[in-house]
Amino acid sequence: MSYASLENIQVSYDGRTKVLEGLSLDIERGELVSLLGSSGCGKTTTLRVVAGFIEPMGGAFRLNGKDLTRTPVHRRNFGLVFQSYALFPHLTVFDNVAFGLRLRKLSSGDIRKRVEAMLEITDLSAFAGRYPKQMSGGQRQRVALARALVIEPELLLLDEPLSNLDAKLRLGMRVEIKRLQKRLGITTIFVTHDQEECFSISDRVAIMNKGAIEQFDLPEAIYSHPVNEFVARFVGFTNFFDLAKVGPGRFRDSHGGEIEVGVDPGAESCVGAIRPEDIELSGSSAERRNVVPGIVEVRTFLGQSYQYELSTNLGRLVANAPKEQAFEPGTRVFARFPSERIVLC
Amino acid sequence: MAAKRQLGLTAFSAAVFLFLAAPLAIIAVTSFGEASTIRFPIQGFTFKWFGAVFASRSFMSSLGLSLMLAVYATLLALAIGIPASYALGKTAFRHNTALRSLFLSPIFVPGIVVGYALFKFLVIELRMPVLAGLLMGHFLVILPYVIRVVGASLEQFDFSIEEVACSLGCNRAQAFVKVVLPNIGSGIVAAFMLAFLNSFNNIPVSMFLSGPGVSTFPRTLISYIEYSYDPSVSAISVLLMAVTVALMYVVEKTLGIGSLAK
Amino acid sequence: MRRSLYVSLIAPGLLLLAAFLFYPLIVVLAPTFGSGGPFLGRYIAFFGDPYYLRVFARTVRIGLVATMVCVILGLPTAYYISRRSGRTKSILMAVSIFPLLTNSVVRAFAWIIILGREGVVNSLLLALKWIDRPLTLLYTEFSILVGTVYLFLPLMLVTLVGSMDNIEEDVTEAAASLGASRFVAFMKVVFPLSLPGILVGGVLVFTGAITAYTTPTLLGGNRNMLLATLIYQRAMSLSDWTGAGVIALVMILMTLAVVKGMQDFAKRLDRR
Repeated sequence: MSYASLENIQVSYDGRTKVLEGLSLDIERGELVSLLGSSGCGKTTTLRVVAGFIEPMGGAFRLNGKDLTRTPVHRRNFGLVFQSYALFPHLTVFDNVAFGLRLRKLSSGDIRKRVEAMLEITDLSAFAGRYPKQMSGGQRQRVALARALVIEPELLLLDEPLSNLDAKLRLGMRVEIKRLQKRLGITTIFVTHDQEECFSISDRVAIMNKGAIEQFDLPEAIYSHPVNEFVARFVGFTNFFDLAKVGPGRFRDSHGGEIEVGVDPGAESCVGAIRPEDIELSGSSAERRNVVPGIVEVRTFLGQSYQYELSTNLGRLVANAPKEQAFEPGTRVFARFPSERIVLC
Repeated sequence: MAAKRQLGLTAFSAAVFLFLAAPLAIIAVTSFGEASTIRFPIQGFTFKWFGAVFASRSFMSSLGLSLMLAVYATLLALAIGIPASYALGKTAFRHNTALRSLFLSPIFVPGIVVGYALFKFLVIELRMPVLAGLLMGHFLVILPYVIRVVGASLEQFDFSIEEVACSLGCNRAQAFVKVVLPNIGSGIVAAFMLAFLNSFNNIPVSMFLSGPGVSTFPRTLISYIEYSYDPSVSAISVLLMAVTVALMYVVEKTLGIGSLAK
Repeated sequence: MRRSLYVSLIAPGLLLLAAFLFYPLIVVLAPTFGSGGPFLGRYIAFFGDPYYLRVFARTVRIGLVATMVCVILGLPTAYYISRRSGRTKSILMAVSIFPLLTNSVVRAFAWIIILGREGVVNSLLLALKWIDRPLTLLYTEFSILVGTVYLFLPLMLVTLVGSMDNIEEDVTEAAASLGASRFVAFMKVVFPLSLPGILVGGVLVFTGAITAYTTPTLLGGNRNMLLATLIYQRAMSLSDWTGAGVIALVMILMTLAVVKGMQDFAKRLDRR
């Protein structure tokens, strides 16, 4: 049995708008799971159900066997970090971090020890006496984290914690968070809309869309084998084409060309997808299989490569090619799809 | 041309400020005059009128009444207004705007009408003591100030810190006391001062709601003016102005004058 | 927030308002309608009675004139204040706010000293030999007007400054760059943008002026009654509670009408 599980959660607003419908998720102890999706997909709602701010209309939330669905927020012992950090403006850093411990009626000696240890781990010892308004964004972020971790929570819940930081800080902080999480072994749920950030630190990722989970798997698995077009688009596939099966591993595209794919999905028809960087372009081609002819419409310079927008009889295709191979707009090219690079969904 | 316009504007504004300040200054001067009626300019210089004020039993007892009334009315207004503002500020129910207008509705009823209605209904018909009517009348008149000022404070308040406090173990009441109140404190203080001042200075409500032994300070002052014309009124005015200045100074040092100008 | 919590936070206040404002008003104003004659009989009689009509007209007149004077005096001064900065501005604002916190008795009393028979003005004019008998300046409509303007000018100032502060400096700079002199910029840019503030300030002053009690009492005397002083006299001196009730409702309706009118007018301005 998994450590934390959401079973068939239903949430709706005003009894009409369904936000989450039958959402289920199982999380193992100690893992960092991310909920990834664009705004409105329900990821924050899911997090808030776990936190206890929203009581679901149906379904259950269990932690370690205990049903917590109706337990009030203040009894769940979960650590929370918000996008806005939500530090207490009227308290010093020390008092912010000590807040949860004080409520648990620990002795002041114990509190001091644990707060100082946590400030040490998060590199905030020098700021113990400062007030939030005197700190930078990154520092406030760490205070919020320290405050959530010091109570030794059963779950750590992070709602887009890095969105307010500039790009460089974001990279540094996500490593920090992963490091702390692994060191303390705290089961964590991380909500974000940034795919790269999410994939870099998560043990598993749940891609969400319109209140449901599209795919829940290891980042590598999702990246290479998205189960449907939505997920594929999310992880960077931009080219999609319909395929009809003609034999084991062999398909015909909508224009009659033959496409051979490394795997056999079993279905009679499906959608094929390929990444721009996986397409090979050349000025001429002798092959007939896995090759699509087209004309270059637009060329953009990406630094290490050029990105081409091609018009083909399969529709618009986007292909990247190294900059040594420059094709002028208007040229006729051949796009080759290596069979092992095609994904079926 | 621009410079001349500037001069004109400056002169005009100076005249207006003079208009605002001079009468109060004149009062101040007359409070030191020797003569038993008010003269300007004054002859002689004395503090005796100030002494007379403190010696007067009717002034002192009505001062005590006004202060006590202001305290109770303000506390009641805060006790009612802060929770109501909190509920209206934190939620987004569609009736919130209408409810807020209801709480602000005493503004549309002229003070004298409030006094009239309460006196007729509570004192004459229900035979309640005048003091009760006075307290409720003041409460009604000052409640809108509390709702407005505390409401403005709550608009600036980030409710997510309340949620975090709950996640760390506070129940709702603890979260309110430990996290919400300290961060709207300046709003509450400003509301207190405004409410207190407006209760103390209130006249229309207090005109009707008075009786034997029950007369607020401003009302006693009006009665006195209608019968006598001596510098003790000036002395009282100076004392009141001095207290106001002191209060403004305290507010400026802690909150900034801006918080009163709403 | 749970519904039960919301209700328990809001209900006490609403109950007190209902018990001590709405209900008493209804109970006290209901007898002014009907009973023996046409439903609005007393109100028709009110507006038909020459004495009442004079009082009503006087109240409205003073309200309008006081408001206009406050706008005329207040607008340039507020503009002046809002263009200052830092310490100067704080001091000027403090000087403007101070009268608002002072008791209205004190503010009216000042004008008794100034306008009285032996007051400042008369003493001065007599000393200068411009007149040989003291003028009757007190207990006239004029004295009520002066007192009312004095009472509400700070309110107008504070409202206008607040509104003008919201007009950014660069708007006037943009106007200047397009060729507008300071005066033209004021008329064509600042004034229209501060109309909302003028409206709000005007409504505050007008409704305050028509419902004021202290100033007309101290500066107007029995011969120059306004609606507020009339209510008091009717109820307390003559025990005519119903008569007072009629006046009360008229005052409430006037206040509501003016505020509603302002809101509608402001909406129309917004649409432009």
